[in-house]
Amino acid sequence: MSNQKLSLLVGDNPFHGISHLSQVRARERNEQGSTEHAAHLVELSLQNGADGFMFSVDETTLSILAQLRQSGSELGRLYAIAPYAYEYVRKATQTGGVAGLAKTLAKELIFSSNIKVVASNAPRILRFDLSALLKTYVAYELSRIRSVCGKKVRLDAFMLHEIITDMALALNMEQLCKGYINFLESKHVRPGFETRNFPYLVDKFSEWGLDFSKLTLTSSFNKVGFQMCPSQCECEAALERAEGAEVIAMSVLAAGYLKPTEAIDYLAKLQGLSGLVIGVSKERHATETFRVFRGIAQ
Amino acid sequence: MVNTYGKLRIGVVGLGKMGVMHSCLLSTFPNVEVAALCDKSRLMRTVAKRAFQKAVVTGDLQKFAGLDLDAVYVLTPIPSHYFIIKELYAKGIAKNVFVEKTLSQTYSKSQELSEFSEKTGGANMVGYMKRFGVAFNQVKALLDKQVLGELRSFEGYAFSSDFADVPDGSTVSAGRGGVVEDLGSHIVDLALWLFGDLNVTSAKVNSRIAPTSEDDISFSVVGQDGLEGRFDVSWRRSGYRMPEFGLRIQGTKGAVYANDDEVRLELSGSPPKSWYRLDMNDNVGYFLGGAEYWRENKHFLECVSSGLTPESNFKSALKVDQLLDQVRRQISR
Repeated sequence: MSNQKLSLLVGDNPFHGISHLSQVRARERNEQGSTEHAAHLVELSLQNGADGFMFSVDETTLSILAQLRQSGSELGRLYAIAPYAYEYVRKATQTGGVAGLAKTLAKELIFSSNIKVVASNAPRILRFDLSALLKTYVAYELSRIRSVCGKKVRLDAFMLHEIITDMALALNMEQLCKGYINFLESKHVRPGFETRNFPYLVDKFSEWGLDFSKLTLTSSFNKVGFQMCPSQCECEAALERAEGAEVIAMSVLAAGYLKPTEAIDYLAKLQGLSGLVIGVSKERHATETFRVFRGIAQ
Repeated sequence: MVNTYGKLRIGVVGLGKMGVMHSCLLSTFPNVEVAALCDKSRLMRTVAKRAFQKAVVTGDLQKFAGLDLDAVYVLTPIPSHYFIIKELYAKGIAKNVFVEKTLSQTYSKSQELSEFSEKTGGANMVGYMKRFGVAFNQVKALLDKQVLGELRSFEGYAFSSDFADVPDGSTVSAGRGGVVEDLGSHIVDLALWLFGDLNVTSAKVNSRIAPTSEDDISFSVVGQDGLEGRFDVSWRRSGYRMPEFGLRIQGTKGAVYANDDEVRLELSGSPPKSWYRLDMNDNVGYFLGGAEYWRENKHFLECVSSGLTPESNFKSALKVDQLLDQVRRQISR
């Protein structure tokens, strides 16, 4: 771990009913959830050592943010991830597949996105230029965030969800990634990528000559190697190669398999992490987890 | 297999969710080139041309002929599988074929395809990817070691919330066919893999979305040595964020419960033992959509290269279609 202070972020997986360890556990937990309760847990976490909130952009998290803003809470650092893949998979199911989803989404983008972005990219959008579509989509998601957090909200980073990042990497889409980075920089938002294939991403970005110091990267890092593909060892080595990037570790408790006290030693030894994101589903987690991690984060 | 290109040249038919996912995953294998893509949607072809700039992108399967493809992935809706696979074999487009489950829409059509593939040779595989999940492999290992003693009964389920919020009367689920093929086929394939041949004794269907839709199905089976089983399948269950598949197996020495994420073993006189994915080495070379997909693709590609028979092939998939056919016959009685 580097000497700089680590950011501690509250994650939103529990609020969506996600547990990467056990779907059964997630279902049981989700039955007790509500937006008010989730907002309370975020607030409690912020009061007990968390620095901010990392969230997928969807109706649930936007409602949580609206609730926090309404109650006058200090939001802290904000890291957005989009698209919220589940929302779009459901839409694809209910609109007749990927082609149906694309048409529905295109309409939403055109009617609700930043009109300047749509207009300046219109000819390329009509030709289904992926880079223009992605820029328009990102503008749309930024507008959704600003509609609840206010136009002056400061996003610390906007990250592409792993499903898009990892597809773009697989297809070697250098120009798409570069276009996305440039667009966010032009909006004064730090570009980021969430990935399940951290070493692959680091190697591709190095090959493309991307400047890691301008990027935020989020991927799994934990003591038991959970979701560290292709292996824990290769992810650790890649972390050293991504020098300068803001790397936020997720799944640090291996989706609840580890207790904070069990997880800490491994994370403390890692060189190159800038932050940790940890989901909380109970008041006790919100108060204790961030206090424990704050101890090593200074 | 060695070709003049130095890489396995793959064609993909169908660019829906599964088509996009498999095409991306295949692109991460260093010995693979996604050389051709086919989809009837102009929109998807336009997007595919942008994403796969070196590949032939077409709406006409005939254009795959002469491209010297080593294998073709058929990832279209189930009703089209039969015609596409027949065309692939008949026109000599490729003799190695991967198709998403189920093999075809009916048992008789699947029989034809299976016979066709035997004559043609080559590797054939059906995408029953649950066989490549670490949890179900752990169950298989436990059963192979006869940890449960003699098997007495099992219960299998396949639930999703895909159409949980769809209003009654909607035809939106029609494009997916019936729930028993869509979700049920996975759990049936797992059961056949773990227990051997099964025969349906009764079946019941509920049509809740529309009068002709099949939304919930339950059926009972018998297997070897008096094994009894029951399946529950639904795509209208609330709270299933992702489709979930599970089994509870009872033997003379205890029981095992398993779903995609975990295995729990309860033996008489011993404390229960649990394994989660991370206890069973679930990491893969490239993660996209699920670890099972990468393992499934790796296995198929290895079989194409080596000439070995894939784990989940047309012959084993035929047994799934046979059992689903029995379910249909029981329902229509």
